[in-house]
Order: sequence, then C-alpha cells, then structure tokens
Amino acid sequence: MSADGYCEPKSTEISRFWRRLITNILYFGTIVVCVFFFLLPLLWMFLNALKTPLQIVELPPRIFNFTPTMENFENVFNSQNFLQYIYNSLIIAGGSSLLGLILGLPAAFSIAQYRQKKLAVFILISRMVPGITFLLPLFIMFRFFRMVDTYTSLILSHLLVGLPFIVWVMVPFFESIPKDLIDAARVDGCNIFSTFIRIILPISMPGVVTGGILSFIFSWNNFMFSIVLASNRTKTVPVAIFNFIAYAQIDWGGLMAAAVTITLPVLVITILTQKYVIRGLTAGAVKG
Amino acid sequence: MAKVELKNIEKTYEGDVRAVSAANVVIEDREFVVFVGPSGCGKSTTLRMIAGLEEITSGELWIDGELVNDIPPKDRNIAMVFQNYALYPHMTVYENMAFGLRIRKIANAEIDKRVQEAAKILSIQEYLHRKPRALSGGQRQRVAVGRAIVRNPKVFLFDEPLSNLDAKLRVQMRTEIAKLHNRLKATMIYVTHDQVEAMTMGDKIVVMKDGVIQQIGSPLLLYDHPCNHFVAGFIGSPPMNFLDGKLRRDGERLLAEGEGFSFVVADNHLEALLKAPHPEVVIGIRPEHMGIAAQDQIDNILSAHVTVIEELGAEAHMYMSRRADDMENLIARLEQRHGYRIGDNIRLSPDMERVRYFDAVSGEALLGVIGPIRMSSRRSALAQG
Repeated sequence: MSADGYCEPKSTEISRFWRRLITNILYFGTIVVCVFFFLLPLLWMFLNALKTPLQIVELPPRIFNFTPTMENFENVFNSQNFLQYIYNSLIIAGGSSLLGLILGLPAAFSIAQYRQKKLAVFILISRMVPGITFLLPLFIMFRFFRMVDTYTSLILSHLLVGLPFIVWVMVPFFESIPKDLIDAARVDGCNIFSTFIRIILPISMPGVVTGGILSFIFSWNNFMFSIVLASNRTKTVPVAIFNFIAYAQIDWGGLMAAAVTITLPVLVITILTQKYVIRGLTAGAVKG
Repeated sequence: MAKVELKNIEKTYEGDVRAVSAANVVIEDREFVVFVGPSGCGKSTTLRMIAGLEEITSGELWIDGELVNDIPPKDRNIAMVFQNYALYPHMTVYENMAFGLRIRKIANAEIDKRVQEAAKILSIQEYLHRKPRALSGGQRQRVAVGRAIVRNPKVFLFDEPLSNLDAKLRVQMRTEIAKLHNRLKATMIYVTHDQVEAMTMGDKIVVMKDGVIQQIGSPLLLYDHPCNHFVAGFIGSPPMNFLDGKLRRDGERLLAEGEGFSFVVADNHLEALLKAPHPEVVIGIRPEHMGIAAQDQIDNILSAHVTVIEELGAEAHMYMSRRADDMENLIARLEQRHGYRIGDNIRLSPDMERVRYFDAVSGEALLGVIGPIRMSSRRSALAQG
C-alpha cells in the first residue's frame, strides 16, 4: 500500500465489493439449495400430473418438452368420485378443528389464567406420544360403539392431533394478555365467561386463526387415523390416493393428479394466511 | 356517592405472606383519599380488595352501608382506572367507554348521552372513533378515566393512573383529576407511590409501609405532625433532614446533642421530650427550617460544607455534608438569592420551635401527634401518659 491518500479508500471499496458479493452468493446459494430440495418433489408432482402414463416412465425423462394433458384430472374427478372424498375431508378437518377450538380455547385460557403448568405439560405429552399409540385402543373403542366409518369417530380421533396443538399455541397468547385487562372487564361488569368471549377472544384472533388453520391442515393431511377408522363412506383424500394403486399396476398420472388436487387447497391457504400464521406463532414470544 | 369503611381488613397470601394487616380507614362520602407508600407496601392490594379483584382474608369492607366482602366487583358499583390504562385494544374509544354500560344492558340512547358527556368533560370527542393504539399515553389515560365516569359509580378507584405518563403530562392530569373530583363530587380513592401526588390531590392521605397503615390525615397534618420517622421522611420534597442525637439535662435547659452540634430544645417541646422513653432521639428538620445562622449566633449551630446547589429560580435547594467524603446529605431550602458556592463552609441554624423529634428505637414521634394515628403509636402514647 502506498502513502498515496487516494489509493487506500479505493482498495477498501473494492474489497468491500467482493465481500458483499461473496456474502450474497452464499446467502442466495443456501436459499436456492433449500428451496430446490423442498420444491423439486412438488414440481415433479405437478409436471407428472400433466403427463400421459407413457411419458411419465419414459427414459430419459421429459422435463418440460411434452404436451400437457388434463386426462389425469378428469380421471380423478369422474371415475374416482374425488368430490365425495374432498367433501369427507372438509367435514372431518373442519369439524375436528372447530371442535378443537371450542374445547381448546377455554382450556388454554384457564391454563394461562390459573397457571396450570402441570396440565399444560400433560397436554404436551399427548401431543408428543406417537399417534399410533392411540390408534389401536381407539379402533377397538369405536368398533365397540359401532362407530367405525362415521364422521364422528374420525372427527374425534383427529382431535388428538389438533387439540393439543391449539392449546399449545394459545397458552402463550393468553399469557401475554395483561391481567389488568381482565380486571378491567370484571369491574366493567363481566363474569369470567363474558370476559373470555367479549374481550379475550377478539384480542387473540391472530392466535385463534393460526391454531384453527394449522389444525385444519394437520387433519386434512392426516393419513394414519383415516386409513384405520374410515371406510367407503367417510374416506378422506389422503387415503383415497390409494385408489390409484391397484394390485397389478400403479396409475402414476392419476396418483399425481390426485396429490395435486389435495395439495392445492393447503398450499393456497398457507400462502394466503402465512403472515397471520407467523404472527400467531410468534406473538406470545415477542410481545412478552 | 358513598362512604367506604375498612374495618380490620387483612390480606394474607399463600405461605403466610401478609400483604395488608389490620387496615382501619373511614372514607367519607365525596372525599378524595390517597393511599401512598413505597412499592410493596400493600396500597394497591388494599385498593384491589376494595374493588373486589382481590379476596379479603379477614375484616369487613362496607360501601355505602352495605357489607361487600362477598360481592363480586361488577355488583359493587365501583369504577377503576388502571396504571397501564387497560383499554380494550379491539374496541374504539367510544366502545371502550360504552362497554360497561352495554354489559349492564342500558339503552343505546342513554349510553350515547353519557359517552358524549364524558368525552366532552375530558375533551376527547375527536378521538371517539379511534382505536386505543392510535392514541398517545395522555389520551389513553383520559379514555380510561372516561370509561370510569360514564358508569356513574359510587366510588372511583385509581391505581397509580399517572405513573406511565411523562412529567409534564402527569402534572397536567393531576390537576384535571382534582378538577374532576370537584365537578363530580364523588368518593375517590387514589393509590400512588408519589408523595407529591398524594400531597397535592388528597383531602386525606393514608401512608402505608410493609402492609401497615402508618398515619391517616390531611396533607398538612402529615407534613407538620408526622407520627413517626418513616412518615416524616416519606412526606415532603426535598425530604426532611435527620440527625442522630441524644437528650441531656443541663440545669434548666434540655440539650439535644450529636456529632458536631448541640441544640437547645425549644420551650414548646420541653414537656413532651422530658417524658421521652430513651435519651437517644432522631432530630428531624424540614429543609425550609434549615436557616442560615447570624454572624454572632452561638447556640444551635450546625456546620457543614456545600456539595450541590440546585437553582430552581424562586428558591434553591442546597445540599450539604458534614463529612469529608460528602456521603451525608443535608438539604436546606433557601428562598432568597444566596450567593453560596460548592465547597463553601456554612453555618446552619435550624428553627428549633419547628424541629421534630423521634424515638431512635421505635421511630415514633416524641412530640404529641394530632389527629388519627395508627393503633400502636396510640397505645404507646397511652402507656407513657
């Protein structure tokens, strides 16, 4: 480095340029790798849903150079009666998240309000225990009551997934609500129920929406409880995909089209509500 | 409008933690009573017991001639203003104020009338349709007060309502709440840790410490006749000066002597001090009674050097120390322009007729205390008499 006054700033400027470039490359590189890893299967699914059976198994695979066909989707809705399965899934996922909210919100509120930490841990444990542990007892129980293949049994079993989650999201949310607000409502003339309905719930809407949506998605995606407890009348979409796997052959195109069909609503819900959901999930942590 | 009576009210938390013990207070109809004390003294707990938000462990609480121990807050006909405002964030200012009335199923026309009226009193008409988050701290506090006003309650409760506001706003709201009291002529109970608020707002002040009521009385009574060392030090700004001393008979005279000073007890204090249980006393001197000694004065002199001078314009607060390390803080309030500088040696002469004396062991005032005082000091006074 010379003693020249102009030389030094220029060289630091250049090194800063390189440093920034390398940082950016690393930064975006990581993101690209991650996104590639997560999105490639999705992309593969979308593309194959638009191919004929022959094109799917063709080697070397055609990536974009094929003529898209809607045949698979027609198959999904016409010959497979997928509308019925979607209806079933909506009833079960909707019902179980609604019931989960009805039961979980007051439960979470009382855990937060009366500091029932032990109860909270108990609920967390039921969330962590693998679902398959509950499956056999549930099946025996529902068979005893002749409830296998009913909406009720599926909604109740899906509660095991959604309810603890809702409680777990809502407890920190309710804890972050200042106690004075509840006191103010009591002085204003509310009892604990009207305080909950008129003050606590409206304030906690981001959390309620988050809990509800995620519980709906968990239930929508749930395969295990449905494959055991559902049969022809109440079959849900993840189970219905199995219709495309026959004894002798697998209809890859139909399978992919069905997968796309059940993924799309979840994808749309997630994209539309992601801001809300992230706010809901972090609210308790950040507000303090 | 109502009279509130606390009879032997106690609050004990789990694990035998006593928050309030044997509180006896009578709050007359239309009175403005301030509970004041350092944090953790039980003043907020007492207020919350009056509100019904906190259960009363023992004792009786009477509001307007009705025993309310087991009556829930909503049926006590009280309204409360909280320190952090506690406005409902999802409702507009209007709905915040109307909420208590809606819960009570009051007709819409009546609600509207009352809300508009309260908004006018508090000059918040322009904000009625805003949400609380779009308001400044001062505006939010007005809404919180408005929410109390519309309810037209028997008793208003204020729990440190001004401590979240900045200094200027606090002074402004202080006078507004005082005006409101004049206007509404309601019973108001106000809790604060700020003795200036207590002095300026209260008709009557209740000083608390460690869950025990120390003294109850008008602001000037507490200022002039504090019942013990704690009240004397807590009430007044700048605070009272305290000197450790010992009483000694010297012929006809009674001397109060300490490190570097020998005061002659004034005649009006003689009788009371001769009955003092111990010779060790704490001498309390208000800053405005710390005069500058005349050149030729020999008695009642206290020498110190100036450490800090606060010029406030109309008066000056001069901080002094008798110790080389400046750790002592004696304060004099000087009303005239004085011309002293930091480091100056100064000869002080307390106004001996207005000095207070406290027992060094118990902290009780040795000069007779006028007005209602707490039970224990009354008992000891009787025992001595």
